[in-house]
Amino acid sequence: MAFLEIDGLRKQFGSVEILKGIDLDLEKGGFLVLVGPSGCGKSTLLNTIAGLETITEGEIRVDGRTINDLHPSKRDIAMVFQSYALYPNMTVAGNIAFGMEMRGVPAAERQKAIDKVAKVLQIGHLLQRKPSQLSGGQRQRVAMGRALVRDPKLFLFDEPLSNLDAKLRVDMRIEIKRLHATTGTTIVYVTHDQIEAMTLATKIAVMRDGEVQQFGTPAEIYNNPTNLFVADFMGSPAMNLIPATIGGNGNALSVVLQREAREPISLPLADAPTGLSAFHDRPIIFGVRPEALTDPEGAERNASNIATADCHIEVVEPAGSDTFAVTNLGGKAVVARLRADANIQPGTSTPLAFNLTKAVFFDPATENRIL
Amino acid sequence: MSVIATPARQSTGGISARTVNRIVIYSLLALFALFYLMPLFVMLVTSFKTMDEIQNGNMLALPRAPTFEPWLKAWGETCVGLTCAGIKGYFWNSIKMVVPAVLISTLLGALNGYVLTKWRFRGHTLVFGLMLFACFIPFQSVLLPMATILGSLGRFGVTLRNATGFSFGLGNPTVNLVFVHVVYGLGFTTLFFRNYYEAFPTELVRAAQVDGASFFQIFRRIMLPNSMPIFVVTVIYQFTNIWNDFLFASAYAGTGDAMPMTVALNNVVNTSTGVVEYNVNMAAAMIAALPTLLVYVVAGRYFVRGLMAGAVKG
Repeated sequence: MAFLEIDGLRKQFGSVEILKGIDLDLEKGGFLVLVGPSGCGKSTLLNTIAGLETITEGEIRVDGRTINDLHPSKRDIAMVFQSYALYPNMTVAGNIAFGMEMRGVPAAERQKAIDKVAKVLQIGHLLQRKPSQLSGGQRQRVAMGRALVRDPKLFLFDEPLSNLDAKLRVDMRIEIKRLHATTGTTIVYVTHDQIEAMTLATKIAVMRDGEVQQFGTPAEIYNNPTNLFVADFMGSPAMNLIPATIGGNGNALSVVLQREAREPISLPLADAPTGLSAFHDRPIIFGVRPEALTDPEGAERNASNIATADCHIEVVEPAGSDTFAVTNLGGKAVVARLRADANIQPGTSTPLAFNLTKAVFFDPATENRIL
Repeated sequence: MSVIATPARQSTGGISARTVNRIVIYSLLALFALFYLMPLFVMLVTSFKTMDEIQNGNMLALPRAPTFEPWLKAWGETCVGLTCAGIKGYFWNSIKMVVPAVLISTLLGALNGYVLTKWRFRGHTLVFGLMLFACFIPFQSVLLPMATILGSLGRFGVTLRNATGFSFGLGNPTVNLVFVHVVYGLGFTTLFFRNYYEAFPTELVRAAQVDGASFFQIFRRIMLPNSMPIFVVTVIYQFTNIWNDFLFASAYAGTGDAMPMTVALNNVVNTSTGVVEYNVNMAAAMIAALPTLLVYVVAGRYFVRGLMAGAVKG
């Protein structure tokens, strides 16, 4: 039995359905990231777990206990809010201790807990300050301190890093990861940043329009997206999704990609998914991540199915660690990720290696993966 | 002559058009200030003069021998109707009526604002609309219905006293006035606090809920301490209105020992016996106006912005 279980959760505001039947579970000590574009219902889902929003249907269990109708304070959870939500009239110490004060913990014990948390988060020197006297990163730490001090069963984070600048965000991301590793707490984390999702999570739920599109480990989500939305949303730069057709014959299928003013490329598929034969001579979406489309020298050596084809390079973007090359296939701009020192010139035709073992195929009508 | 004056011409010409404009504007402003300050000045100088000096001298002249006698007389000896014990008793009557009325109406307004923004229920806009409507009711139109209600409350007080030996203040004119002012102040105080709390970060309330604070604990520990600016605005508004009210005061406590300051002042000035003591009247009027001035001076200092800084992302 999982530590956090969500069964058939529905949430309606009047006639509008915000959450359309969510099923998720998370093991103890896991890190679940809810990710999706704005308005997908991820924050609402987090609020229903916290008890700040009521649910219309379904069940939420933590450690085997149903918490559907419990008051937020009775659920044994702690929450870090997007805006930090520090009480402006109290000192940092007062903020951290407020929850304990409400539960009637004696002052001496409160002080001990404050000191312990302050040490973990290195905010000891800030304890007597008011929130208005803190920087963004310090406020973030205090907000986490307020959650940590409760030692709850479940931590909830609502886009905690979205108000920080880029560098601080990376630092705090590492800090949260370290905190999770050292304390072993169970965390549910909401973000719209897919990099945060990939780096932090043990499980990711990709959401859209109140539905979970895919639920799995970061590697599963990244390598085996179940539909076009997940494939497009996760990964930066995004996966190349190229309109193509299936050619060849029964045993040896191939992907046919249109090129501008030249004959199409035909890439032979060694072990095509079985469902693909039904799409013979029909349009599909061919998905290949930038790192699976590279210069022949930089291609993965032990990949079993690599096809090389000449492509007309339109733009070259040297990014320091890598060089990105943009070509045009099937009428779309396609990004290839090359070694930093790859010798490539815009306006020329260069052979690119397609790692077809990493390629995925989608049905353009249903947008689902062809397996 | 050129229409557009060059800068060189302006500086050599002595007085530029800009300077002339300034002089005209400031003269006008000074004139208006003088116009509005004149009555206050007359009141102030008259209150420090003897009756002889008032009758024989110029109204605008400074007192030749300033005396506190009229102030002391107004405070402790002057006749209000038939009793001649000064206005001090009525001053305290007003304080006893104003302080609870202001505090209760402000706190209830804060509570209403808190509920109407952070604990919304079905139909909350209708309730708020009706409360807003209360701001536009002309007080004259409620004099009689309110008198009926106060009469009923008074009779209920008598019943209570017969039953329990204690009337719980029902029927007491001061309590009646507090009740009336709380009821009719509620519309404004609710409006003030609702609009303030509308912009108050809801995440703070949610964080406090997760921390286990109850409805009233959130109100007392989170909402109220962060409401200083609007609290001060409301207190100033309510204090000024209730202290200066004459209509309700004369209608529901116009005679007897509970008479508030405004009614007493009217009775001092409207006395029909003996010489009209202008100096005493002026001193009494000044005393009646002092508390509102004091509230502005004291509370205005706390009228600071930016108390919410640091609550949310900065």
